[in-house]
Formats: sequence, C-alpha cells, structure tokens
Amino acid sequence: MPNKRRLITRRDFIRGTMGATLGTSMFGVRWAVGSEKAAPSSLVAVVRDKDVMNADLDVDFKVLQKMLDQSIVQLTGRKNSKEAWSTIITPEDTVGLVSTGHLNPTHDELVYAVKIALMDIGIPKKRIKMAQGSSRKVKRCTALISLPALKAHWLTGIGTVLKNYIMYSGSPSAYHDQNSAKLGEIWNLPHVKGKTKLILVDALYPLCDKGPQADPRYKWPYSGLIAGTDPVAVETVCLRIIEEKRRALRGEPWPLSPPPICVEAADRVYGLGTSRMEEIRIAHFGWKQDLLL
Amino acid sequence: MKVHKPNLPKTIGVWTRPDSPRIINSRNIFEYMNGAGELYLAYRFNHLEVYEYKADDAKSILVELYYMETSDDAFGLLSLDWGGEHVSFSDSPANTSNQSLTSSARALYGAGLLRIWSNNLYCRVMAFRETPASKQAVLSLGKTIAANRKSPPGPELLKILPLDIGMGWKLRNDRIGYFRSHLVLNSLYYLSHQNILNLDLSTEAIAAPYDSIDGKDRKRVQFLFVRYEDSGQAQQALDNFHKAYLPEHEKDFALGSVTKSQSFFKIEDGWLGYKVYGPCIALVFECPDENSARMIIEQIQFNLLKTGG
Repeated sequence: MPNKRRLITRRDFIRGTMGATLGTSMFGVRWAVGSEKAAPSSLVAVVRDKDVMNADLDVDFKVLQKMLDQSIVQLTGRKNSKEAWSTIITPEDTVGLVSTGHLNPTHDELVYAVKIALMDIGIPKKRIKMAQGSSRKVKRCTALISLPALKAHWLTGIGTVLKNYIMYSGSPSAYHDQNSAKLGEIWNLPHVKGKTKLILVDALYPLCDKGPQADPRYKWPYSGLIAGTDPVAVETVCLRIIEEKRRALRGEPWPLSPPPICVEAADRVYGLGTSRMEEIRIAHFGWKQDLLL
Repeated sequence: MKVHKPNLPKTIGVWTRPDSPRIINSRNIFEYMNGAGELYLAYRFNHLEVYEYKADDAKSILVELYYMETSDDAFGLLSLDWGGEHVSFSDSPANTSNQSLTSSARALYGAGLLRIWSNNLYCRVMAFRETPASKQAVLSLGKTIAANRKSPPGPELLKILPLDIGMGWKLRNDRIGYFRSHLVLNSLYYLSHQNILNLDLSTEAIAAPYDSIDGKDRKRVQFLFVRYEDSGQAQQALDNFHKAYLPEHEKDFALGSVTKSQSFFKIEDGWLGYKVYGPCIALVFECPDENSARMIIEQIQFNLLKTGG
C-alpha cells in the first residue's frame, strides 16, 4: 500500500511530531538533503542600545555604527570591526546586500553602515550590490549579507530571515500556505547556496503581529541588531523575541498563528542550521531591559 | 448599486494628498504589499485606493480604502482584531443588530492607526508617527470617510452565537472573527496548513472562543461555524476534515455517515465535537469533557432553530 501523504495539523504541534511529519510525509526523502548535519553550537550576537533612536524614531547613525561594530566583533571574536569583517568577506568578493525594501523595511541607515564597513576593508563601491528581488541579481554576487527587518507574518508566523530570500525562488507564491515550510529550500538553490556570509537582522523597531503590513500597536523600539552566520539559529532567536513580546503584551501566552513551520523545517529538512535553543549560544551586548531572551 | 465614495480633503492640517489615488486591484496587489495581499484576496475584494498625505515637517499619513464586494467582507477584515480605542463618527446611534456580539465597534484607533468598517468599505488610516496633530488628522479623515455611508448590521451568521452557554461558558466577543478562507482561520485559530474544511469565497465562517467562568481553572474552548452553499458541500467538507484531523477514527468512518449524528472525540488537547446542520457545520475544540462539547453543540442547534437558520 503506498504511503499516504500526511497533512500537518494542530495535532502535530500538540504532540510535538511536526518535525517528523515535515521530514517524512510532506516532502519525502528527496528534500531531506543536508538533514544529517552535525549540530555544533551556533553563535548569535544580540546588540542593543536604547539611544539608537530618538522619540521620533529617527536613527542616530553613529550609535548604529557602533552597534554594528559590536555585533560583528561579538560574532567573530576578533579585536576590532575591521579585522572582524575581513574574516567574513574577502577583498575579491562581489557582495550582495539583501535588505527588505517594503512594508516594515530595513532601515536605510543600517544598509549604509554596512556599505561603509565593507568599503573600509577594501571592497570597492561598485562591487557592493543591492541584491534583493531577483535571481539575476544574486547570480552576480559571490557573497551575500542578509539584512531583513524583524517581523511577524500573518501567513508564515515569522517573516524575517528565511523569508528574506523568497524572491530568489522566481516563484514567491509557491511558498505560501503549507508550502511556507519549504522556504528553507531557497537557501539551497544553486545560485544561492553557500553565499550567505552574514545574517544581520534589523531589530530596531520590530513588529510582533499582523505583519507584513504595519500595525503600530504591535511595533516597539527593541533597539537591537541580531547577527549570526546560521540562518536558522538567528531566526530562532528572532522568534523567541517575538513570542516573548506577544506574551508580555497580552499577559498570557499568545502563540504565533499559524505556527512558523519554516523554522523547524529549515533545520530538520534542509539542514540549514539549528532551531533548538539549547544549541544556540547568545552573545548579548548592551542594553538589557526587556531583552526578551 | 450606487456606492458613496468618500470625498477626501486635499489638505488636512499640514498634510497634503496627491490629486488621484493609486489604484490597486487583485492583479497588482502583491506588488503593493507582497504576501499581505493574500489577506484581502481571502475576502471578496474589489479594489484598493491609496492616498499618501505628505508634509514637509511631519511623517506621512497613509489612507487605504479597501472596496469589498459586501459589507460582511469589510466587517470580516475589522473582526481580525477588536483591539484599540472605539471611535464613533455618528451623531445618531448606529444600528445595533448583532453588535452586542462584536464589541459594537465600527472604527478602532490605536497608536496612529485607525481601522474602519463602513458598509462595503474597510479602511486603514495610518500616521507613520503618532502625535496629537496626526491623531486629530487621522480621526478627521476617518469621519470624512464614514460620512453619508450606510451602516448595515454585521453578518447574519453571528446570530447563531450564544452569549453564554449553560452556566459555565461565556463568549469572548472581543475575539470573534468572520472569514471565508483557511488562511484567515489559521491566523485566528490554527487548524492545519491545508484547507481541510474546504473553505473558499463561497463559504462564510466564524471563529469564536468561549471562556470558562466557573472561577477555578481558566479554560478556553474554540468554536467554529461554517456555512457552505449547500448541504452536499458541507458533508464533503466534514468528510475531508475528519480524514485529515481524526485519521485514527477512519475505521468507523464511512462516506456520509459522519453527517448523520453529532460526533465527539477525545484528542490531545481535549474533546472535539462536530455536527452538521444542513449546509452548516459546527465544530468545537479543546473542551475539558464530553459534556461541555455536547452542551455547546446543542446550544448552537437551539440558536439555529431560534434564528430560523
């Protein structure tokens, strides 16, 4: 008797069997490439400064630059930011910056700060590309820096790290609904795989519900940057922050709905990194109040 | 049907709008708002008109007018979040039919965002930076939008919801959601990433939690009610739901048999019950015991008979 295709339901989450359902029934073995990965500890740097924005939410560029330096130093363990950037990007690279351009966009100031940091280590301006939007753009790059803004998403639970490459699929609508679990496969496409050198999440003013359309009731000045090289670990930390903020807002658990199945699938099915908090080491620097971690 | 279109002022306070709006339809909505467009297409969406009011020394105010096919669809969009400060634009009392169920709100304001249900129009008026001046401008624009428009009651389907069930369960009227799509259902109450209840634009549904009021342990059950075009579609949907959600009961399951009587099942998060009433299905989830599930389903049946449904 052929195997029946299992559907993912609420019951899988209650039973904690979602990973197994995703891995074996929904996709079949052909998608499980890379799922036998080792599970090293993944480092995620969380750097915050309450002065990075004023009451009008205008960004203080100097403070932001300092936060960026701290993020990269925390992540690499190097003495200074120049040395730190040099371990991530080589002088020969053509670097694609993949920011979120629309609906709770990445702050322009952050994109600009990264450009300056890259030029400081000798990457010429012409080899720093804005690479969001199409496969053609990403094919020209040898290195990518993903710069999504932190937000919940009404279709996928969270719409930050994994979703940031959706346009590289050439068919974004193919990743809606249950297929949002497959967002991780985009990171394994030949023109994308292995190029991401850094994930740097703009968590200055995140959105914890109703995304991607902005609802200011659910935005708050977290005033942070979240950096890592493991996209799943970074997404998992982002998810924790969003969930804790939701709990704080309602005073009771307020789980993301629908649950963000793409995160566990990115780990268990696509082998992109770890979604298990116990395997993630968080290096925090700066403002501690309402850290939510 | 002649539809009254809001006549938005060219300037309000320090803000000025362009002469004509940006028009968004179902073909280009994703260019405007990416995946957020799915939300509006999950209802009967006609088109969207967008105005951005700009000022030299203040952040913009965005006005989005979503023209829906029916008032129920516009209501559905507002029903996704009953939070915020209630705003009334009417000098006379609004038609209050069904409103005890849904917070009686037609406009809600919070942190710079005003959301309005006005007949077949759903509106979002949002100041990118909330200040006393921007709040005044946002509310003034809201008043203009709602002026001279009809205020029909909420969807008929809401009438089947009892405010209280027995002595123990009270409707959370600030959590009632009206929808037609499983994507919206999942944002209110996650059931499955697949469309296991066969929802589409021809169906209408409500999700409504009930809280236990007996004091000791706070408990919430989730009630869903779906109306299909005909009883055949309802039966097919229930068959589909049963196979997907209750696969271990497949042995007892024969096509059509699930519709003959109400059914109750103990699963991981409590008791689940369902019953078909002609073209409608009632489902209740997370009940602490079978009796609660039965009581809720029976109360719905009573309300259906009462309302002639």
